[in-house]
Amino acid sequence: MTDESVSQAAKPEEEYMQDLAPRPVESASTNSTDPARTVIEVSDLTVGFGKTTIISGVNLTLTRGSIVALIGPTGSGKTTFLRSLNRMNDKVRGYFAGGSIRIDDQEVLSDHIDLLELRRRVGMLFQRPNPFPMSIRDNVLAGVKAHGLARKSEHDRIVRENLERVGLWNAVSGRLHDSPFRLSGGQQQLLCLARSLAVQPEVLLLDEPTSALDPISVESVEKLLADLVPEITFIVVTHSLAQAKRISDHTMFFYDGRLKESGPTARIFEDPQQPETQYYVSGRMG
Amino acid sequence: MAGAYRRRPFPLPKGKAALASDLASRTEEPQAPRVFRPTTKSPLGPVKIASAASAVAPLLALLAILAILIHQALPAIKFNGVGFFIHNVWHPGNFYLQPQTTNGVLHPAQAEYGAWAIIAGTVLSSLIALVIALPASLGAALVVSKLLGPRVRNALGVFLELLAGIPSVVFGLWGTLTIGPLLSRDVYPIFAKHMPDVIILRWFRGSTGAGEGLLTSGIILAAMIIPIIASTSRDLFAQVPKLTEEGAEALGMTRMEVTTKVTLPWVSAGIIGATVLGLARALGETMAVAMVSGSVLGTLPTNIYATFNTIAATIVTTLDSALIDGTGLAVRTLAEAALALMVVTLLANVGARLLVRKVSTTALPVGRGV
Repeated sequence: MTDESVSQAAKPEEEYMQDLAPRPVESASTNSTDPARTVIEVSDLTVGFGKTTIISGVNLTLTRGSIVALIGPTGSGKTTFLRSLNRMNDKVRGYFAGGSIRIDDQEVLSDHIDLLELRRRVGMLFQRPNPFPMSIRDNVLAGVKAHGLARKSEHDRIVRENLERVGLWNAVSGRLHDSPFRLSGGQQQLLCLARSLAVQPEVLLLDEPTSALDPISVESVEKLLADLVPEITFIVVTHSLAQAKRISDHTMFFYDGRLKESGPTARIFEDPQQPETQYYVSGRMG
Repeated sequence: MAGAYRRRPFPLPKGKAALASDLASRTEEPQAPRVFRPTTKSPLGPVKIASAASAVAPLLALLAILAILIHQALPAIKFNGVGFFIHNVWHPGNFYLQPQTTNGVLHPAQAEYGAWAIIAGTVLSSLIALVIALPASLGAALVVSKLLGPRVRNALGVFLELLAGIPSVVFGLWGTLTIGPLLSRDVYPIFAKHMPDVIILRWFRGSTGAGEGLLTSGIILAAMIIPIIASTSRDLFAQVPKLTEEGAEALGMTRMEVTTKVTLPWVSAGIIGATVLGLARALGETMAVAMVSGSVLGTLPTNIYATFNTIAATIVTTLDSALIDGTGLAVRTLAEAALALMVVTLLANVGARLLVRKVSTTALPVGRGV
């Protein structure tokens, strides 16, 4: 799957056009400049609701197959940014966005994009587990069925595969037709992860995915992300600095609607360049 | 960061140590440790008596109504027998002849009662109303709660509740004077002409009548129960967690899929409840149906436009003449019909409960079942 999407991304003609376009000066690149490894490219992004601008002037490039942590105080625009990537803000009253978000060289901020397909490729996991009111099995298959990704004969295999991937198979294999609401919170979140994985996304957006979970569930989710990472790119909004340190390759620090600083996680935590970053990662803010 | 926390003195360990030593000293004693059980019983007071009385009152009222109804209907039950639920003849008898006695019940000569047609009419008209009202209400509730802005939503909500408060006689008058004639002249003939002669749809063929009948009653009943189902459903839809719907959206589901796969199943138990509320209203509706049914007794409707009668409408329209029956059988028979109506409504409720149980076992949040 990875090979396929890479080849899809590397269209020589568009690459050429990109090189001609003026590059933003303060480009907050993660590290790699290899376009084939770039999965998301955001330039000069401004997002707001009504008359309020929430984030402005965000430029960044995300490398395929990495875990990126978005940190920053409450109200800094992390979640708004995250939800812009799969256009989940569309329905919010007065939402507007300027600039450009390109995923696999496809402009997201455009009426021409297939929104359903975008959301298949860019999945999302939420703050709290949100299983659908259907059996555990149907939960895993919900996206698969909606997108018509597989034949009915393959459903059993898909359910098993994805539940095994999240380490839930042994716990639920005997009650696939039961309600998901009887599972523990951590198990429910893993089920939601399995549901997201079943549609074979390239990018997964995680909005504080472990904030409602107990420490043991947090550990299992984090371990999973590490296992899945070469295949899928994760963008994680987190309020836990320790979590950002533990799991991410790159960290982006949002402050007051701007991307203040970004870079390899170790660098951000050990040698922050901006005073705000230093202040935040030392635990004196937020 | 973590170090800063550790340096602070924290009183908990001290307390814990004290507790541990306390426990240790207790275990040395030979007696069993003291067990504290909080008192759950509060003393009997006026509040408790009043609330117990009001809790029991509805049950007593229901039992009393049932007992009195059965007592009233008893002679009719004896006289009419099982035939009451099977055949359609509705004949109070000849009051000028000498009354006779059958099964120990005094009755006018040639009296015969069969309620099958009015039981069927009651159920049919209510089902037609439900078939029209359920999708309309759910659609209205979905539009109001999911698509509209808060200002329009509140205005429409008030409007819906106003609609629920319109007296049924107004609906009935509107049905007989305006909507019935209009439909039978301009709308029904189109159906009657173009419906194929196949099962069920065959029912839409034939004479469309003058506007009083089964379909008109169903439509009027639908208009009466839409506000009930719609306003309840609207409140239910508002309870569906946004996070769950967003999850479905973020998975790449269309708005239609989100609605049918997530929103509706989430509240299905409640929707069934709302539907039964509407159905009960339709089954028992008297005035409006009495005005638009065509009030024909003793025959089953032959098509969906035909005149018919319901139990409730029969009771209200024939009570006056029933009082003329010197033997009292006519009134007793109406009591028996009323009993039948109660049973039908009760059955609808029981059926709904079973449906709710079936729906909520598979996939609904714990405790959502009724």
